[in-house]
Amino acid sequence: MIKKYNVTVNGNSYQVEVEEIKEAGVVSVAQPAQKAVQAPIPAMAKPAPATVPVAVASIPAGASTTNSPMPGTITSVRVVAGTSVKRGDVLFILEAMKMENEIYAADDGTVAAVHVTQGTAVNTGDVLASFN
Amino acid sequence: MDKLELLRSKRERIEEGGGAKRIAAQHEAGKLTARERLQLLFDEASFVELDAFVKHRGTYFGMEKTDAPSDGVVTGYGKVNGRLVYAYAQDFTVIGGSLGEMHANKIVKVMELAGKMGAPFVGMNDSGGARIQEGVDALSGFGKIFYANTRMSGVIPQISVIMGPCAGGAVYSPALTDFIFMVDKTGNMYITGPQVIKTVTGEEVSMETLGGAMTHNAVSGVAQFVSPNDTACIADVRRLLDFLPSNNMENPPAFEAADDMNRLADLNDIIPQESNKAYDMKEIIKRLADDGDMMEVAPHFAMNIITCFIRLNGKPVGVIANQPRVMAGCLDINCSDKAARFIRTCDCFNIPILNLVDVPGFLPGTAQEHGGIIRHGAKMLFAYCEATVPKVTLITRKAYGGAYLAMCSKDLGADLVFAWPSAEIAVMGPEGAANIVFKNEIKNSEDPIATRKEMIDNYTNEFATPYKAAERGFVDDVIEPAHSRLRLIDAFDMLATKRDKLPAKKHGNIPL
Repeated sequence: MIKKYNVTVNGNSYQVEVEEIKEAGVVSVAQPAQKAVQAPIPAMAKPAPATVPVAVASIPAGASTTNSPMPGTITSVRVVAGTSVKRGDVLFILEAMKMENEIYAADDGTVAAVHVTQGTAVNTGDVLASFN
Repeated sequence: MDKLELLRSKRERIEEGGGAKRIAAQHEAGKLTARERLQLLFDEASFVELDAFVKHRGTYFGMEKTDAPSDGVVTGYGKVNGRLVYAYAQDFTVIGGSLGEMHANKIVKVMELAGKMGAPFVGMNDSGGARIQEGVDALSGFGKIFYANTRMSGVIPQISVIMGPCAGGAVYSPALTDFIFMVDKTGNMYITGPQVIKTVTGEEVSMETLGGAMTHNAVSGVAQFVSPNDTACIADVRRLLDFLPSNNMENPPAFEAADDMNRLADLNDIIPQESNKAYDMKEIIKRLADDGDMMEVAPHFAMNIITCFIRLNGKPVGVIANQPRVMAGCLDINCSDKAARFIRTCDCFNIPILNLVDVPGFLPGTAQEHGGIIRHGAKMLFAYCEATVPKVTLITRKAYGGAYLAMCSKDLGADLVFAWPSAEIAVMGPEGAANIVFKNEIKNSEDPIATRKEMIDNYTNEFATPYKAAERGFVDDVIEPAHSRLRLIDAFDMLATKRDKLPAKKHGNIPL
């Protein structure tokens, strides 16, 4: 959807069209309406810090990983880097489909890094933990 | 040379296959030879070989000088636990087990015999693929096998075993059969190999990652069974055959049951108090089944649904069960495919169906919608509606919305529907329903949070139960979990004489 605004900066009037783009955030296209000359770029408010995903650590090369089987929210993290786990141990609780889903270790190993925290929203395939 | 001696020496030469050196190499690779495999498949001394003297007719590229005993495939028949079964085993020691015209003719010949006699057919694959020197004759061989596989589909059980390479066109014969077994590390299946992939797309991939046993068991869903070695694999094939009838006109074999049919199953406490907690549905299946014995089909693929064979009072039953322990037991694309295929396999071969239901719904998301969950989920509905075998549904806990219907509800043709007291059968879960049904009450309340909670509790007590469905007759009986085994045995016993026919038609048009 495109919205039109009249904006006055330092006494100069601009007509601004703002188009909302879903997902990718908001991109504004400023078109000087009345002046042919390139208007000085108006001073802008500081951009809000972009929300970065709470990736706690990068995935070591060649590490095996435990991935999220479905979209949901991590409600409990049971391991930290260095925890040694046995196949079948519960690593995380993923709340999805109104169910508490236990995410198990697929094999024996040691946790190299945990990539989510309590409250992280995850999608299918997101890496939850990596193993040495 | 005496004529008898000539026969003996010819047969000896044939049974040597590719010779001592190649046989040693076969063993070195952890594989048995074709004849060793057939000996293991069949009851002792029951295997009879056919067409041992067949020779290829290739004349190009030096083939006229190539001697290929049995033309690289051993075919015949024998007994598996006393029942007639036909089989072939490709001989990798003879020109790589490659498939030429006569090799294919031998396979088709035993398949046709299996069809006429109404006996299962087992194909053991270990072949380098089409015999290129024979050109279109080799291609024609594949085509004939595909045709026979398809014509026999639903008439006799067909089992494929992948015990070596199975590449290119060769993969489609197994794919057309009812079950695929693969031996881990030695069995491979792919349309185009790692070399071709590297040339065409630049992608580097190992044979094992591309088409190994675990890849096809866990990722692609092409194969349903994986075994650590040839011996274990063949033992599994024999076990599966015990659950299947010889053909579509027979009932699956019943055995004397050692397990008491009136045994109370230890199930009264298996469902957790909190309805958002998971449990292991396999435990329920084991406690219901004779001797706690179940044979899972595709245990590594789409684990949110379990498909397996069990026996109830000695008679085989196919079980389709949601697994709350994996992905909350929700329905998605892969599990719909897996279940639909299994339902149709059971229906083909007169194996009654038991559905164990604990399903929170279909998995939401663009990946599912764009992947065609509508189309794939429809396969499951279609398969259930179409199946004429006895169908019994037991709802252990959640049965919500479309997923309730999809898991063989009364309206999809379940002959009997049972529910445990823990069952929640409703159009949707209490939280979602309360938000919609009591929208105004919640909005106009002075304390919306308290009102919402109250409404959710009301809905839970009133509707998230088996009793509303039982009032309408959608549930035939609400039963005590401990009584489930004897009630199910009784139900299948009552349904044994079920007659149900589809309207006359060529075949239905299942959404594929």
